Amino acid sequence: MRLATDRIARQRTAPDPRPLVVTGRQGNVERLTAVGAAAASLGLKPGLALAEARARYPDLAVVAEHPADDRRLLDAIADWCQRYTPLLAVNPPDGLLLDIAGCAHLYGGEEKLLADLLARVECFGFAARAAIASTIGAAFALARFGPAGILAPGAERTALAPLPIAALRLPEETIAALRRVGLKRIGDILDLPRAPLAARFGNEVLRQLARALGEEREPLTPLLPVAAYVAEQPFAEPIAREDDVLRVIVRLAARLKPMLERRGEGARRIELALFRTDGVVRRIIVSTSRSVRDPDDIRALYVERLASLADALDPGFGFDLARLSILVAETCPPEQIGLGERADEADLDRLIDRLSARLGARRVMRLIANDSHIPELAAESVPAQADVALENGWAAFRRFRDGVALSPRPLRLLIKPEPIEAIATVPDGPPVRFRWRRALHEVVAADGPERIEGTWWSEEAGPTRDYFRVEDKAGLRFWLFRAGLYRSTAQPQWFLHGTFA
Amino acid sequence: MVSPPGYVPAVLMVVVRLPTSIAVPPRAGGREVLCALKHSLRVLEPDLDYGAIAFGIAPLDEVLGGGLARAALHEVAAAGESAITAATQFVLGLASYPQEQRAVLWIAEDMGLHENGVPYGPGLDDVGLSPERLVTVAAAKPRDLLWAMEEALRCRAAGVVIGEVRSADRLDLVASRRLSIAAGQRDVCAFLLRSAPGTDASAAATRWIVSAAPSRANAAGPGHPRFSVHLTRNRRGPVGSWLLEWNRVERRFDLAPPLSEPVADAACDRPHRATAHGA
Repeated sequence: MRLATDRIARQRTAPDPRPLVVTGRQGNVERLTAVGAAAASLGLKPGLALAEARARYPDLAVVAEHPADDRRLLDAIADWCQRYTPLLAVNPPDGLLLDIAGCAHLYGGEEKLLADLLARVECFGFAARAAIASTIGAAFALARFGPAGILAPGAERTALAPLPIAALRLPEETIAALRRVGLKRIGDILDLPRAPLAARFGNEVLRQLARALGEEREPLTPLLPVAAYVAEQPFAEPIAREDDVLRVIVRLAARLKPMLERRGEGARRIELALFRTDGVVRRIIVSTSRSVRDPDDIRALYVERLASLADALDPGFGFDLARLSILVAETCPPEQIGLGERADEADLDRLIDRLSARLGARRVMRLIANDSHIPELAAESVPAQADVALENGWAAFRRFRDGVALSPRPLRLLIKPEPIEAIATVPDGPPVRFRWRRALHEVVAADGPERIEGTWWSEEAGPTRDYFRVEDKAGLRFWLFRAGLYRSTAQPQWFLHGTFA
Repeated sequence: MVSPPGYVPAVLMVVVRLPTSIAVPPRAGGREVLCALKHSLRVLEPDLDYGAIAFGIAPLDEVLGGGLARAALHEVAAAGESAITAATQFVLGLASYPQEQRAVLWIAEDMGLHENGVPYGPGLDDVGLSPERLVTVAAAKPRDLLWAMEEALRCRAAGVVIGEVRSADRLDLVASRRLSIAAGQRDVCAFLLRSAPGTDASAAATRWIVSAAPSRANAAGPGHPRFSVHLTRNRRGPVGSWLLEWNRVERRFDLAPPLSEPVADAACDRPHRATAHGA
């Protein structure tokens, strides 16, 4: 509730003793949207007009609200909370939902987990209230309106009864309508006959009530998908050196290996999350072109990935938790050793992975053939790690080329055809001389034209092209084309598209 | 570490810890000491002769001692920026010899690919290199390029590693020495493809300068591509220049039959180099 004021207070370098309020424009009035602890103790409340607050206490520190910053901060806190459970959702504007089923024993029970969470969050400079309950609705209501703490399973009814209706996550109009008929507390509607209640105030009231009481299941939509394989390691003493991080990666990967083996799977995409002591979470993802589960292979990928990080690892005061999760796993055949060709292939994949991890996946490419007549579309570069790289169409291309006796193609193709100044004697013939990159070339021999029509269903390829293979006086061979025909265009443009040996 | 142009180390210090069994005989003369040292070096050096890629052209193979050595670094430079495709074809013609079926890694800088064009699959297939075998790597800076080349040279699955270096990039002796050592460790052929002849010292086994030459063109268009090829450094024997023709059907280099008209003289002026004339 004080997220915005805490955010501003945290960013200040020098403490400001004045009561802090955050304001936003609602309609035509500037109203308070959040108040700091000092302001709250003076009796200021969100919703009050700024003019009125100023009239009562002229010495206020007023800051304009910034919802986007608040949201970013909440996301960062959510990220940090991943250390407690992977199942977590953001409840804007200032709430977080954590599903701690099966996690509490790691901290020695729910009380200890709650105490640990609150102590750490307070350490970062945020006032927090937390409640643990068996349903999302009850935990929400208790954390915001009731006595924070732990609610035993089955006690929802008695705990919720004294809380205001607003604790039920209902739209404003419904709350107002219920208040108008005197239903102010949850206890007031708990024992009312359901059918008339639904008929008058809508089904939402009943649904939220049922969810809070645990009569209806409510799924939690987690912020991040939960990885199938996770291993983590907390550190009593924060680690900071890259060597230590790599050692931890090997240890965590070794823990994941038997799990992967049992299910016959290997990792294709791995995420390393490093939790810094000051709450920042660093996530580093590597991908592989074939499924891996060997800890040393995973370590080798991270060696390259860490080496290529622009801003280094920046451990600050150290990392106190490391988690290795396998985001994408794939069936991985059991290792075969001793078959030469397979070993070579695996070696190439390993090389591609290493290069991709260091330089970036878009920099390590394989060529595939596409079913197209347009030269620049006929061959395409795809990341070598992508599966599509394996289903190249070169066999089909060779069949096509031999079938139609395709004229030779250049060895190197310019990324974009470059315009040239060309002079042709015959309208549809090859040029006699042309200028490319400021050098003049006299054509002594030419072969063509090979006419390539643009696809009629798309504008992408542009007008008809007439390709010529020409050789100049020095023996340089080029692939030129004229875009458009003389009949349809007054002055067709010439381009140079590639070079032959 | 950047060496000044034309820098050649005056003294090469070879420090060997001799195995005790091959000790120098007591009170031996200078010649015996040298013989003993040579012998011990031979013992220490493993047998790294992985054979050669034969051109199938007698005078060329003779000069090279049987063909272009594998497990070595070769530097192929274009005579000028526009001849880069000719140099590329020369390298690929050698890279696609039939016994080699392993992957080809082509590592180039972004800038080089923008200037000279990217490898084009159908064209590669025309010269006999199946595009399936090719992995291209685009490096952002020369440092990445050299790193990627060394990594690739260590890989068993790579048969040929081509590094395309722009003329603007200086490549010092240390870099080429590292590459040639990496290439010597296993059966892999390394090529440095340069868009202009380098003036700096290099540890490459051979250095070539390739330019395009007029083909036997006729009314039907350009003929088989021709190259004038200068071998400017050869660690195994003499140097020389030849006029080669790429046989598009057989997919190999032939010695070009002389043209009826005089061929332009060598583009590269290197009067101090002795040349053995093959053509």
